[in-house]
Amino acid sequence: MAAPNYDVLIIGSGASGGMAAYTLTKKGIKCLMLDAGPPVDFQNNQVPKPAWQLPYHGLGKPGSLAHVFQANEYNAHQWVDEQQVPYTHDPGEPFNWVRVRYVGGKSLFWSRMAFRLSDYEFKNKDHDGFGDNWPISLADLAPYYDQVEPIFRVRGRKDGLKQLPDGNFVDDPSPWSPSVQKFMAEASKRNIPVIKLRSALGRGQLASSVNLLLPDALATGNLTIVPNAVVRDITVDKNTGRVNGANFLDRQSRREMHAKAKVVVVGASCLESTRILLNSGIANSSGVLGHYLHDQFYITQSVQAVMPEVRNKTAPPNYAAGYGYIPRFRNLQTKEKDFLRGYAFDFQAGGTPDAKFFPLYGKALDEALDAHRGTGFTGTCMGEVLPRFENHVRINKDVTDAWGIPVLHVQARYGSNEFNMAKDAINTMSELCRACGWEVLARHDQPFPPGYSIHEVGTCRMGDNPKTSVLNKWNQSWDIKNLFVVDGSSFVNAGSQNPTMTILSLSMRASEYLADQMRKGEI
Amino acid sequence: MKRRRFLQALAAAPATPALLAQQAVPDAAAEPAPLDFSGPDEGADPVLRFFSTRQFATLRRLCDLLVPGAQSSPGALEARVPEFMDFLIGDSAVDRQQLWLSGLDALESQSQTIFKKAFTDTDAAQADTLFAPLHQPWTYEPPADPIARLLAAAKQDVRTATANSFERSPAASGGTRRRGGGGLYWLPVE
Repeated sequence: MAAPNYDVLIIGSGASGGMAAYTLTKKGIKCLMLDAGPPVDFQNNQVPKPAWQLPYHGLGKPGSLAHVFQANEYNAHQWVDEQQVPYTHDPGEPFNWVRVRYVGGKSLFWSRMAFRLSDYEFKNKDHDGFGDNWPISLADLAPYYDQVEPIFRVRGRKDGLKQLPDGNFVDDPSPWSPSVQKFMAEASKRNIPVIKLRSALGRGQLASSVNLLLPDALATGNLTIVPNAVVRDITVDKNTGRVNGANFLDRQSRREMHAKAKVVVVGASCLESTRILLNSGIANSSGVLGHYLHDQFYITQSVQAVMPEVRNKTAPPNYAAGYGYIPRFRNLQTKEKDFLRGYAFDFQAGGTPDAKFFPLYGKALDEALDAHRGTGFTGTCMGEVLPRFENHVRINKDVTDAWGIPVLHVQARYGSNEFNMAKDAINTMSELCRACGWEVLARHDQPFPPGYSIHEVGTCRMGDNPKTSVLNKWNQSWDIKNLFVVDGSSFVNAGSQNPTMTILSLSMRASEYLADQMRKGEI
Repeated sequence: MKRRRFLQALAAAPATPALLAQQAVPDAAAEPAPLDFSGPDEGADPVLRFFSTRQFATLRRLCDLLVPGAQSSPGALEARVPEFMDFLIGDSAVDRQQLWLSGLDALESQSQTIFKKAFTDTDAAQADTLFAPLHQPWTYEPPADPIARLLAAAKQDVRTATANSFERSPAASGGTRRRGGGGLYWLPVE
């Protein structure tokens, strides 16, 4: 029996692929989904273990996952094995490519921060003259954000900020703690907004495609999911020039297979999608495929302060507690001298600073830690990175992965705009802490290497011009009309907001367009 | 202790008549009790293989000063952290090995230069002089000086290794001592 010829082949099962399946199958379109990873029972695949039972007592296997700063001995198996699926970069330009290969992809483990982009991002060139505008505006994507947010149950408050548009939220009625109110008062004096975090509650333990999108898609009877399918390339009908499926290898047996479909939707995650397209030798008449790689620079524990009023448990309960978010405030109404665009912070009040921040050791250190329990205040800086043509990925034919597929070479670095922005961010946060009367134990303004934020986007960007972009405004290849790329690779710029809500919304929008085109017989 | 628990479990199980035991009918009571396993740290001593005798002696003194024992919690020596570090650093990349080797050697050399005695023989005040870098504020960029680099790395690793040791676990202390590190372990997927 020959395999069926599906309407749509979806490559990838994370946020973007999952949303494509969710949208298309509900419209009666028969979809085949391939994912490179295995399915996983999220709840039962985690077991409690004391650290001493781990081979390296929780300090981690040396040399393993060298690029994944988020890895530790407990979660080491969550990430893609860098020996199995390597990539290359120049020694002086590290790129931290953090990958997940399970059905559900990174949506199994994401931080759940859920923000919209604004027209400061969509129309960034109109605002400050740098880069390129997206081919769409907030008004184009807002109806899709409106639908995506309830699916993921995004909790937040309507703050009325143009740079961080409000959404369709589950209301967050939680009060601010007194320490955060103090911080907000100082921020307000400097016209710096402080708001509640906006995060996806999801359902149960997860806010993932595997529990919020794929079950509904499967329930339609229109979705077939094949896990452990490592896609090598997308195939093209020589007569029509249209794509007609994909070659893949079974992850475990390495058996070669071919899947057929009338349309191919790629949502394998930003750089994996671009890798597949580059290895396929398609969709690159512009020469832009692989270029304009960017992300957000991150500095975790950028400022570590302590609140003296909490020391030795002298403050009332719940005085020092809670999280908050500072959305971008630079270069909106005013113009900074040293950098374009802006940055955001998320912060936490009430933790205990790490031992490394105290210039002590031995018993004195233990006593200091006891005295400072719950006194901490720290923030992660998240800065916009300018998309530049020279930051790119290309195929390195000299290196292949465990399935014989050529890997990516990544060439990306931050520039003076990012470094100057980081300095301003850390100076500003330090000043705010000191204005609150808090002691700054440590600060640092050096971003982690590109990729660390796991928000890599671009390399297959949208645009209005087929000579300068890979996709049109519907995430559709300019070159091949039955090829769509629906993940973060389509971004034109990323702002300082976490990208998942935008990825989901773009995928839903592209999929609705695709379904409509198929219904009309245009594709 | 483990063996004792296992035998107690066996003794507590109801005796099964021989005739019934021959029948094919599943009998929950006849199912074997879950086996209770131990980690290597519970039942054996580590074999040292990386640091020299002198370096290891310096390391032991360093560990004792960084995380001394107390009644409520075992210190680094009691938790056999020097032995664990011998394994961990021996299994690490060359640059990390070099940091520890050169740092321990420099610490010993500095002690000989200033106090004319081995680091292992210094008193607390003398050791504190050598530990001056630990009284400096933390910096994101690691210090260049080999002793300062060693001390910064050792402060983190020795504290973590002590906190995560079997000796600090409830299993070792009957729940009376400070709880050791733990978490949810993500199993490998075939």
